[in-house]
Amino acid sequence: MEKTRSVDFGALTLKDALDLATLVEEEAKDRYEELGDQMEIHHNPEAATFFRWMRRIESKHEDQLAMRRAELFGTAPRTVRREMIFDIEAPEYDEARAAMTVREALGAALRSEEKAFAFFDAAVSQVRDAAVRALFEELRADEAEHQRLVQAEIDKLPPDPLVRADDEGDEPVAQ
Amino acid sequence: MTTSPTLPTFQAKDFKSDLKPIWCPGCGDFGVVQAIYRALSAVGRPPHEIAFVSGIGCSSRIPGYTTAYGFNSVHGRALPIAQGIKLANPDLLVLVAGGDGDGFSIGGGHVPHAIRRNMDLTYIVMDNQIYGLTKGQLSPTSPKGLKTVTSEYGSLEEAVNPLLYVLAYGANFVAQGTPADMAGLADIIERAIRYPGFSFVNVQSPCVTFGEEEQQVKAHRANMKTLASVGHDATSRIAAMDLAQQYGRTLHTGVFYENPTPPTTMDGLVRERQQAQVGEAKPRARVLERFIQK
Repeated sequence: MEKTRSVDFGALTLKDALDLATLVEEEAKDRYEELGDQMEIHHNPEAATFFRWMRRIESKHEDQLAMRRAELFGTAPRTVRREMIFDIEAPEYDEARAAMTVREALGAALRSEEKAFAFFDAAVSQVRDAAVRALFEELRADEAEHQRLVQAEIDKLPPDPLVRADDEGDEPVAQ
Repeated sequence: MTTSPTLPTFQAKDFKSDLKPIWCPGCGDFGVVQAIYRALSAVGRPPHEIAFVSGIGCSSRIPGYTTAYGFNSVHGRALPIAQGIKLANPDLLVLVAGGDGDGFSIGGGHVPHAIRRNMDLTYIVMDNQIYGLTKGQLSPTSPKGLKTVTSEYGSLEEAVNPLLYVLAYGANFVAQGTPADMAGLADIIERAIRYPGFSFVNVQSPCVTFGEEEQQVKAHRANMKTLASVGHDATSRIAAMDLAQQYGRTLHTGVFYENPTPPTTMDGLVRERQQAQVGEAKPRARVLERFIQK
């Protein structure tokens, strides 16, 4: 599926690339916030806490990129828009389940980091500007490191119980 | 770096309300509402110029999650209410949303009339083949043989085919999408909104709680076929009806039919008639004379 719309990677400038990368982090931050809210509404505080923790991490990445952009380009207007990107580092909505375990939530986060890695990996081969290529290679390496960190968290967890909460619970309440 | 260097006035987030959706996590409707925000941002009308009408059901909660004017109305009656709104204020951009039960069972009788009146409305049906809100009963688009709480031994009925239904009644814009392809879905909804006349978008939006495994987003992602990839000619109603017969077996996404010469909408015809009759209009004090027998 298309992950971007109207983005010409060959013509991307460093300013555009930094804006695009910032928006990727913003999209992921917003999605984790939504997932945290969904889990809270459906009485799953453990998964809600995890997704909100991920939200803070993505927010930190977004701030770091925005700061870098401001240092290099000040307040020059942005020409890329959030509407041009689709779920690049944000977990897909269908990853979520009302009774998901923290291990499953971490699995969703891991797949999101893998998606982001694949995005920057594909973009590197399309960009022409050397500075943009260097930035995307750096971001690709960051995503690989994030995958390692998330996997390390998964490895610390005990296995999920054989009987799941949604095996014995009622379906979600009527709205 | 973009194909359209002029930035639209509104961003997708301008159409998102503060109300938090209470759909089940994993529901397809989360993706649909995101696609609607993006389509509205591309169209560029401000939220206060948009009216969003729905019926009853999980998907009918959608107007509340937007900053447009919203009316979460009566089961199956979203289309008549939306037509009234459009007739009263033709300048509004009117969107209508609901589920397959709301549109093709309870409100099934309203669909043909909305189509033949051809008012400038966009009707988005979130088709999940089940009554999810009421905990999993057979719906009009449930496949034959489906076992539910109201069809313990499997349904004996054929499913309604929403695409064929609206094409047969003469709809001039008919499309289908899935939240498995967000970019494609946003594009389809944008085109439907821009189309001058009644436009219909069937969204295969899975019910994560009561839906079948093969109807979930992951299965859509693996099995969907874009209409562009099969070389479909969207200007041919017959070709569209031919492909639409595969509903329930093959998930085709994209625009099935777009009449290249859109007929004048009913709201347009009303305006034309009003202008033509301006000269014949009687002063307010003499209006009743028309109805009084002499």
